[in-house]
Amino acid sequence: MAISPSDSADLTASLLLSYARDHVVHLLVIAVLAAYPGIYAIAVNSPLSAQAVAVLPRVETMVAVLYFGLFAISFDFVSGYTGYLSFGHTMFYGAGAYLVVLTANGKIPFLSASTPFVLLLVLCGLLAVILALLVGVVSFRLSGVYFAMITLGFSQVLYVFVRDWNYLGSNPRDGVAVTGRTAGFEIGIPGVDSASLAIGQLTGDTAELLGVVTLTTAEVSYYMVGLVVLICYFAMQRVIHSPFGRTLIAIRENEERARAIGYNTFYYKLGAFAISAFFAGTAGGLFAGYRRSVTPESGFYFLTTGDALLASIIGGFGTLAGPLYGHLFDESVREFLSKAGSGGGLLPYLRSNLGQGTLETVIYNGMTIGESIDVFLNGRAALYVGIVFVLFVLYVPNGLLGTVRGRLNGTVAKGFPMWFRQRLPDRDSDQSR
Amino acid sequence: MSLLSLEAVHTYYGDSHILEGVSLEVDRGEVVALVGRNGVGKTTTLRTILQLTPPSEGQVWLRGEDITGADTHEVADAGVGWIPENRRIFSRLTVEENIHVAVPEGRNIDAARERAYETFPDLREHRHRDAGTLSGGQQQMLAIVRGLVGDNDLLLVDEPSEGLAPLIVSAVADALAATATETTVLLVEQNLPLALDLADRFYVLDDGQVVDSGDTNEVDDDDERFRRYLSA
Repeated sequence: MAISPSDSADLTASLLLSYARDHVVHLLVIAVLAAYPGIYAIAVNSPLSAQAVAVLPRVETMVAVLYFGLFAISFDFVSGYTGYLSFGHTMFYGAGAYLVVLTANGKIPFLSASTPFVLLLVLCGLLAVILALLVGVVSFRLSGVYFAMITLGFSQVLYVFVRDWNYLGSNPRDGVAVTGRTAGFEIGIPGVDSASLAIGQLTGDTAELLGVVTLTTAEVSYYMVGLVVLICYFAMQRVIHSPFGRTLIAIRENEERARAIGYNTFYYKLGAFAISAFFAGTAGGLFAGYRRSVTPESGFYFLTTGDALLASIIGGFGTLAGPLYGHLFDESVREFLSKAGSGGGLLPYLRSNLGQGTLETVIYNGMTIGESIDVFLNGRAALYVGIVFVLFVLYVPNGLLGTVRGRLNGTVAKGFPMWFRQRLPDRDSDQSR
Repeated sequence: MSLLSLEAVHTYYGDSHILEGVSLEVDRGEVVALVGRNGVGKTTTLRTILQLTPPSEGQVWLRGEDITGADTHEVADAGVGWIPENRRIFSRLTVEENIHVAVPEGRNIDAARERAYETFPDLREHRHRDAGTLSGGQQQMLAIVRGLVGDNDLLLVDEPSEGLAPLIVSAVADALAATATETTVLLVEQNLPLALDLADRFYVLDDGQVVDSGDTNEVDDDDERFRRYLSA
C-alpha cells in the first residue's frame, strides 16, 4: 500500500511526539541543566544575591559535577547493574586523565601534542577498555568482596606506579600539569574551528550568544563538557535497555540462574566492565582537559572511587542517572559547608551577614558566636557530608532516584507523565466519561 | 543411549559429602521423579547435572557425551533447562523481560511469549510488572514458563509445588504435564501423589544414595517402599 506524503508526515509527527513523550523527563532535566548558568547569573544579581551565592553551586563546580558525574555513572553501570563492585574503577579515570596530560606534554609516542581533544577522549576510553580487559580477565574469576578487593589492589598498584615514575614529570608525586601546550582543549568537530570551543577555566573560550549574552570560560566549559556527558549517558542508557543490559540485571539478581539459562556470564561481566571503563576513561579525559593537571590522588587513589560510590549510594544504585544527582548533591553540600570564601557557602555568608555585634557576642565562657561558628563550620564539610551519608544509607537506602522510581513504580520517564496526568484538572476525565 | 545418565557421582559442599555415588538414567521422552526426604541430596543432584556444583568423582553424561566439569552455560546451551526451587525469578525485571531473558538467542521471542501467556494467561495481565511484586503462585508460573520457552531437551524441575496453595498446585501440575508431552523431565518433588501422577519412573534418594527405583505403575503413594524413606 502506498503511503501518501501527508500520511508519512503524520507518521513522522506522531513518532516524534511519542519519542518526545517517552523522553519528556530527559528533556526537562536537560532544559534545567542547560538553563542553570543563566539561573545562577540572574540569582546572584538579584536582591537575594547573598543567599544565592551561599546556596547555589558555582558554574565551575557544576563542570566538575558533570565530568565526575559521568565517572560515577560509569561506576554505576558496572557495579549497580551487575552487582560486582568495581572498587578500582578510578584506574580508568586516572588512565584517561594521565593520557590527556601526557599527550599534551609530548610524552606519548606516536601521539602529537596537538592531537584533537575529541579524538583524545576516544583514545582515553579505548586505553581504559584495554586496561579493563586485562584486569577483568583476572578479577572476574572472583566474586563478591574478593572482586572488589582485587580491583582495588590493581588500582593501588597503578597509584604507586604513577606516583614514582619519573618519566611522567619532574615531580610525579605532586602530579603532572599540562606544560607542552598553551591552547585550550577543544570540544567540537576536529579541524573545524567555528564548530569547536575550548574548555578550561583559564584557557577556555568565551562565546557570544546571539550577540547579547557573553558566556564566560566556565559557562562554555559547562556546556561543552555537558554535551559530551550527555552523549555518553545516552549511549550507556541504550546499552542498559538492550537485551545485553537485561542480562546484566539477571546476573545481578541471580548469577547461577543466568548461567543455567545458558549465558556465559563471564563474558557479559567482562563486556560490562569494558563498556563502563570506556566512559570512565572519557570522564577522566574531560577532567584533565578542564583542569589541565592530574595528581596520583585525583587520578588513581581509591578514595576517588569512594566518591563515585558515595554518589551512587546517594543518587541510587543501579539507576544510571542517579549518581549524577548524587554527586551534585554531594558537591553542593560540600561547597555549602566549605570555608572557601570565593564560592560562597554558609560560613562566609554568616560572617559577612550576621553583623559585627552579633559575631562578637559572648555566648559561653568567653567564646563568641563568631568563634563558635568557626568551630562548627570551618573545614568541617567532610564531617557533615559523612553524617549525611550515614543518614542516607539508613533512611534512603535506594538513593534519591531509586526512591522516586520506587514511588512511581518504574522509571521516572514512564512514571512521571502518568503521575502528572492523574493530577491534571478534570478536563481530561470529563472527556473520557 | 540414555539422554542423561549419572555414573557413581560424588559431590561435596566444602567438607560435607552430599552425594555418595549416585547413579541414575533418564531416557528421552520420560518423566522421572526423584523423591526423598529433606536434605538427602535431591537439589544437589540437579545442581550437579548443571555443573553448578561439579562432582568430585563420577561422570555426568548427556546424550552419551561426558559433560562433567563443563561450564554451566555450556550445559544449558546443550539443552538442559532448570526450574529452580524457591521460584528464583529475576525480581527486578518485569514479567516480560524475565521471559525474554530465557529465550535462547536466535529463537522467536514473540512466539515464545505467546506460548508463555497461553500456558498461564495470568501472566499476560501482569506482563509489565516487576516479577518480584507477583504472588508466590504467579512467580512459580513465571519460573515454569521460563523453563518452557527455553526449548530444552531436558528440564530439571525442583520442588514446583513447594509453598503453593492447592488450587495453584493443580494448575502448576497441568502445566508440567503439558510440558512433559514435549520434553523430558527430571522432577524433584516432595509431594508424592503429584510426583507419581506426573512421572513414568521414580528414584528414591536417601543419605546421598539411590536406595530404590522403579516404575510408577507398580506403586501407589502409601506403598511400603516409600514409607521407609519418606516419612519424617
